[in-house]
Amino acid sequence: MLDEALHSPRGKDGRAPDPLRVGGWMPMRQYGENDEVDFAIVGTGAGGGTLACKLAEAGFSVVGFDAGAWWRPLEEFASDETHQEKLFWTDERICDGDNPLKLGSNNSGKAIGGSTVHFAMVSLRFRPEWLKSRSLLGYGADWPLDWREMWRYYTEVEQALKIAGPVNYPWGPPRPRYPYRAHELNAAALVLAKGCEAMGIPWSETPLATVSAPRGRSPPCVYRGFCVSGCSTNAKQSALITWIPRAVKAGAEIRDLAMAGRIETNDAGYVTGVHYYREGQWRFQRARNVVVAGYAIETPRLLLSSANSQFPDGLANSSGLVGKNLMAQTNQAAWGVMEDEIRWYKGPPSLAVTEHWNYTDTGKDFFGGYAYMSQGPLPRAWVSSLAGNRGLWGDALLRAMEKYNHQAGLKIVGEVLPQERNRVALADEKDRYGLPIARVTYSLCDNDKALVKHALNFMSQSLSVVGARDIWTESDDTCHLNGTARMGDDPRTSVVNADCRSWDIPNLWVCDGSVFPTVGGVNPSLTIQAIACRTADRIRAMAAQGSL
Amino acid sequence: MAANNAGDLSTAATRQLVGGAVGAIALGLGVALLRRGFTPQTGRETLAGARTHARQKRSPLRVDEPPQVKAARRLNRAAGLLGTSTLLDSAVEHYRGSFQNKAMYTPLIVSALMLAVSAHGTRDKRPIAHGVRDATYLAAALTGIAGTGFHIYNIAKRPGGFSWQNLFYGSPLGAPGAVALSGLLGYYSERLRDNESDKIPKVFGLPAGRALAALSGVGLLATAGEAGLLHFRGAYHNPFMFAPVTVPPLAGALLGETALSRPRRPRRLTRWWLRLTALLGFAGAGFHAYGVQRNMGGWRNWSQNVLNGPPIPAPPSFTGLALAGLAALGLLEEHPDA
Repeated sequence: MLDEALHSPRGKDGRAPDPLRVGGWMPMRQYGENDEVDFAIVGTGAGGGTLACKLAEAGFSVVGFDAGAWWRPLEEFASDETHQEKLFWTDERICDGDNPLKLGSNNSGKAIGGSTVHFAMVSLRFRPEWLKSRSLLGYGADWPLDWREMWRYYTEVEQALKIAGPVNYPWGPPRPRYPYRAHELNAAALVLAKGCEAMGIPWSETPLATVSAPRGRSPPCVYRGFCVSGCSTNAKQSALITWIPRAVKAGAEIRDLAMAGRIETNDAGYVTGVHYYREGQWRFQRARNVVVAGYAIETPRLLLSSANSQFPDGLANSSGLVGKNLMAQTNQAAWGVMEDEIRWYKGPPSLAVTEHWNYTDTGKDFFGGYAYMSQGPLPRAWVSSLAGNRGLWGDALLRAMEKYNHQAGLKIVGEVLPQERNRVALADEKDRYGLPIARVTYSLCDNDKALVKHALNFMSQSLSVVGARDIWTESDDTCHLNGTARMGDDPRTSVVNADCRSWDIPNLWVCDGSVFPTVGGVNPSLTIQAIACRTADRIRAMAAQGSL
Repeated sequence: MAANNAGDLSTAATRQLVGGAVGAIALGLGVALLRRGFTPQTGRETLAGARTHARQKRSPLRVDEPPQVKAARRLNRAAGLLGTSTLLDSAVEHYRGSFQNKAMYTPLIVSALMLAVSAHGTRDKRPIAHGVRDATYLAAALTGIAGTGFHIYNIAKRPGGFSWQNLFYGSPLGAPGAVALSGLLGYYSERLRDNESDKIPKVFGLPAGRALAALSGVGLLATAGEAGLLHFRGAYHNPFMFAPVTVPPLAGALLGETALSRPRRPRRLTRWWLRLTALLGFAGAGFHAYGVQRNMGGWRNWSQNVLNGPPIPAPPSFTGLALAGLAALGLLEEHPDA
């Protein structure tokens, strides 16, 4: 019963599920497939969901497509880690390279709202210098965006999601006050705080996209702790409950269980619409513009598999960079056992953060930075970490699990360098839709490894100074995926321009984490949404000037 | 967010209306309560003469009740109301804290005793202090002061010290102060009774009316400070949350002005503003009841949400303090130099 949404589409017949009410529906405008809509957007997560909302509110006709289901969290999200894997993108992929990625959980999402439905809600801004990391810091690539402009869009997103953050944020240029106050720290967060104080570096409450006071039909967070399995109370301000309902109210149509397979082009070299699979058959939606927002694997996969005689290397790929420069942020951890009870499963997993090593350039033997946060893996995630990464089994595993309530840990979101060898390409094998499977090749470079080593060393020390015992480090984990359709100023070295518009095909756009030239050491969702807001404003401005 | 559409806005407006309605019901209840028992009779006895007459019939002695006894009984009432608020609030909050430290029972016991002696004092028209009441009030004042010390210690030892995080979520700094205040008001009422009726009442050598006005004014400001802190924690998500940081501080300022300025009567604005503050205290409880509803599961999940939601017993402490302020005004009506 809890997976009904997976079997037949809900966004049809002029209505859509209202995720904020049990059994709720909201009216939804519908477009015919022969209607040439202004924008067909593939993907409804942080990029596509935000853009669909902003464009619909600007008066454009918008149809959004998502391969995933349209959930009502209040009644369909179980307190069960395994069941909630229904939110992940677990379609077949081929992973290789020196450090093959483990895809399908924290780095994927298949639902209306995308991975924001199960993200950890960490909403951090980029360090301004990162947008010019090549010029200012000597590594990676420059973004074609100005940080001051991004600062404004960050503010817009923080307001839209009512981010609960600290009154004063210790790093970076001044930012407006977060709309909601930070949540109460749990014991796991206090371990980070005490460790930072002992190591002499600043720490902060993490700005989170889960409300600390009522907001509309979202009650304040009840600290249930299943955040990364899907929030069943709707305290989490995911795209599913924020941008998408706004988009629908503003006249956008969103189609769930709709897998995009190919973007069509005409002889003039423009895209004309999207082929998508829904309710057992392939369909075609005509559109004046197509936006690809499928995240760093599905976006290049769709662009590459839309290759035709006119664009034999795939769409928007004259630079040859589509699929390249994949960056999977490192996600290594140090774990330890505390004397006191911690019960880290209480509350959002990452309530405290330090961005010290994002903003400090001295004392490092690597480029880039990392943030680290307190942790709260649920029992199943923890047991698989102990068994898979620490190699415990049988009695040893049982005894380690008995210490679950005393466990504390720190985990990084680490910057990795863009490398062309890290890429998404098409394999020869086909999936159930008959589409070529993505082959994901990934290897860390020496700089990435040096960063991880530094982080593990620092975090282990910081656990040890607050009395943690039995400290061990988990060195093989990655999280957010970015890159593969980078933005830039030069058509030869980038796929899209600052407005997320492809250099090659003027009515083809990419709007998600794929456009990141570098990743920085923070979770990307806030930046993706800020870029989407900016793109919508730019599109509106261009439409007004007649240059769309 | 400028683009937040009309649908959302109208929902928000509806919500605020519902909140307003709940507040209004509580306000109505408050008005009824105040009219029944809590409305202080002014020196001019402006309120329904018939009712006063009926009371005089029931209690012929009342006509001769010395003003300081009248004021003292009003103070007993104010202390009792404030004590009720602190009793319920500390019960809920310390239950939430699992009574981890045995000392956490103290404010419950002391506030309950204070409630009892305040009820006693409210009925007692004798112009002499009462030993048990005196001792209880003094104990409450000391408990409040010690509690403040405990709470300061609790905050200081958390990582971050006196950070916003700890001020929001650590032991509330202002709460034990309310116990101390109610104890002080009660203690003050006993001192008032000790005055001879034909002299200007003094307490601790200070003119009683002015000193009481100052005390309740400071209490109002401090309580508004605490409400301000906690409503800031709630990001003032409902515009009504601004009420306790605007109305009571003005009442506090008016009382301060009363304490410091030359004798003058009548003080209509101050009196009405204090009445408004008293009503706001009751309305606040109603708003907080609505706030509980806005937590996950609402009142169906009361056993969690009464603990997690806004504290229902807290706002009536404004009523208690406003009543103390009205008692001070009453004293000043009788003795302009008091």
